[in-house]
Amino acid sequence: MKNQYDYVIVGAGVAAATIAKGLLEHKHDTSILILEAGPEIIAKDRRFWWDYITRGERPYTFTYDQKFEADSTGNIEYQTDGVRVKAYGGSTMHWGAWCLRFRPEDFNLHTNTGEGADWPINYEDLESYYNDAEAFLSVCGDDNANWIPRSKPYPVPPFEWTAADGAMIEAWEQLDVVYQDGDIDPGTKTKIKSGKMPIARYRKCMTTGTCKYCPIGGRFNAQYVLDDLKNDTRFINFEVRVNAPVHKVNASSKSKIESVTYTDNLNGKKHTVYGDTIILASGAYNVPKLLRASKNEFWQDGIGNDYDLVGRFVVSHSMLNVVGKAKSNPNGWFQEYDFPTLMSHSYNTKEHQKKGKIFMFKNRTTPNVDIAQLMIEGKTREEIDEIVYGEMTINLQAFLEEKGKFSNRLEAKPGVDRFGLPLTTVHFSRTDEEMKNANDRLRLLEQVIEKMGLEVTSSRIDKPGGHHTTGTARMGTSPENSVTDKFMKVHDTDNLYVCSNAAFPTGSAVNPTLTLTAMAFRLVEHLKKTNQIKSKIEDVNTVDTI
Amino acid sequence: MNEELTSIGGPVCNEKLPASLIFAEGQHLTHQNKEALWDIFEAIGKNWSNTIYDSNNQRSSWYEMLKAKTENAPNYAGEYVNAIYVLNELYSMYGKDEAFKKLFFESGVDNSAPPTTRLAHCKIYVVNEFIRMQITAGGFKSWGTKYGGEQARNYHGFLGGTRYNRIPRVREYDPETTNSKNDDA
Ligand SMILES: Cc1cc2nc3c(=O)[nH]c(=O)nc-3n(C[C@H](O)[C@H](O)[C@H](O)COP(=O)(O)OP(=O)(O)OC[C@H]3O[C@@H](n4cnc5c(N)ncnc54)[C@H](O)[C@@H]3O)c2cc1C
Ligand code: SF4
Repeated sequence: MKNQYDYVIVGAGVAAATIAKGLLEHKHDTSILILEAGPEIIAKDRRFWWDYITRGERPYTFTYDQKFEADSTGNIEYQTDGVRVKAYGGSTMHWGAWCLRFRPEDFNLHTNTGEGADWPINYEDLESYYNDAEAFLSVCGDDNANWIPRSKPYPVPPFEWTAADGAMIEAWEQLDVVYQDGDIDPGTKTKIKSGKMPIARYRKCMTTGTCKYCPIGGRFNAQYVLDDLKNDTRFINFEVRVNAPVHKVNASSKSKIESVTYTDNLNGKKHTVYGDTIILASGAYNVPKLLRASKNEFWQDGIGNDYDLVGRFVVSHSMLNVVGKAKSNPNGWFQEYDFPTLMSHSYNTKEHQKKGKIFMFKNRTTPNVDIAQLMIEGKTREEIDEIVYGEMTINLQAFLEEKGKFSNRLEAKPGVDRFGLPLTTVHFSRTDEEMKNANDRLRLLEQVIEKMGLEVTSSRIDKPGGHHTTGTARMGTSPENSVTDKFMKVHDTDNLYVCSNAAFPTGSAVNPTLTLTAMAFRLVEHLKKTNQIKSKIEDVNTVDTI
Repeated sequence: MNEELTSIGGPVCNEKLPASLIFAEGQHLTHQNKEALWDIFEAIGKNWSNTIYDSNNQRSSWYEMLKAKTENAPNYAGEYVNAIYVLNELYSMYGKDEAFKKLFFESGVDNSAPPTTRLAHCKIYVVNEFIRMQITAGGFKSWGTKYGGEQARNYHGFLGGTRYNRIPRVREYDPETTNSKNDDA
């Protein structure tokens, strides 16, 4: 079996898929090995789809994190169970595909607030890569949206607001939620409008509304990209090995990382594979655990961990949730897509950074009536009609921005899961002030629900959770303040990169994956340049020795 | 045979079975089996008056599901044949129309418990799944018209058809014309 590659990539999610595609399209015979701990689960299968429709079963749920696989300490529980997909394709197997850019101020959180961290790059450094990422993921969005500076239009037009969104838009307008001074052109009273949620459409979607399990490959899933690369006859040196958890990254000197060691889960054998460049694309949980497990004579506390920063500054999103009830639903509305169509960035601005920005959206499933379930329960036509036009609930939600804190840390707990990956402990606490701010934000959401003429029936802050974990191997300007440099290269190494949400110094108030994909495009550009330079030097050396 | 009978049917319906899917590896459905099962599907539309053309507009989707469920593991052929036994007993006891009424509205089966009788297997693995499929394939559309309102166009799980479809996918909110189209209805 071949054991030497130009690139060894750990993990087979969207980060890995983006890098592999970029490198291969640049130079077709580049040798790349992707090692994925989880299994391959077939997607785009009609039987699986029918099972999802008729029984609510998804083929990949057995790969999710289980409750016992992680401990949570601190003053608030960190939810890890049922979250990540550990498989070929990673969590994009079941993500929501919402694709939002971070805003300029997200890159300067510390400068603006004295808390959290700054990125070593700015929004402008990433803007063109955001365009690439949106084109790659086929993001549909509203070109009239003015909440973000952008140099290219969205590649695909947006979904329409559903009829059920109307009442919330009207309430927002009355509360001045929709219109706020924007950050785009300060002082000019640029308005930030309520928006249409940008979603990764990838290939042609038939709008089934299912979206957690796409039978036709409409919604983006990293699996499809990897399949395409494997089947492309130009890419003869591209390989993916599944059931292959990596345990250790090996170094031959402080700066030179030479190989990784993994186990073949099908036969228990250990293998070491060598790479000129090694990229950890194994997600914000596993990047820090792997770095810290990789102790050697050069790195006594694990690679990149000389300053005890690996795994620290865990950031997540908590979901704010307010549910309101109306006595009737005379139009028989329900949210006709299984994704939110309405969002607002009014509180996702620089002005709100200190207190913690929120990104508001109408929940993806309300109002709704599970007609089939009522039929299953034996309700008659007349009874169901009454229910459809009867009581209606609407749920307004928001992601709350968190700030990275030194004491919040993710680390390995002894033992491994069924794929051979280390278990997890998350130490996570919020300050009293953060709790107060979160509650204040909740009041804001309640006001909207009340303005809609609904009675608030529930109002809560959900646990922070693993869905959007960021920050665990953050980038920065020096080894004293960060784990990687501005190209996500681990400080003091020549050839070890982290391409993951782990490298984000801040988590913003919006979902991370579009930014991750943009960062992966940027990394590809960097690798193309560095490796060109490297091969020139090698050419010179070859000539010299002849 | 069973004094504590709370569900419909006779000895066939109430015969005990393990809750797991009835074993059917390698088993295929005959044409007659499929026709007998189609009667259940058609009866769903009739009993809830939520379909047109006697459900024939949904027939190809239904066939596709049946095929997917009997030609791949785990194979549903055993469940489908069991449902036919159950139905035959119900028909002989109550007559066809009444049999479906009882099966859909007063079966006595606990839909959230593991199915441990032939009747419960029929209700949970066949009838309930056919209902979900029927709604997904367009059966949802009939709800939403009561006050002369606009019917729903989409539903979670609805396979909307072709990419060339120019009909709007959902009932839209249009801020220009306001959201209150149906308010006076
Ligand atoms: C339910 C849910 C909904 C979400 N919805 C959205 C959304 O709408 N929009 C959005 O922007 N983001 C969303 N996200 C987040 C999004 O899924 C992630 O940001 C993204 O998938 C991360 O990609 P990745 O490639 O970094 O990592 P992953 O997808 O986590 O892939 C990493 C892979 O590496 C493997 N691995 C880990 N360690 C090792 C090892 N040591 N050796 C070998 N393999 C290893 C894992 O098994 C995994 O398959 C959602 C997440 C969840 C859980
Ligand atoms: S809505 Fe589109 S992307 Fe989502 S499952 Fe349906 S076809 Fe796939």
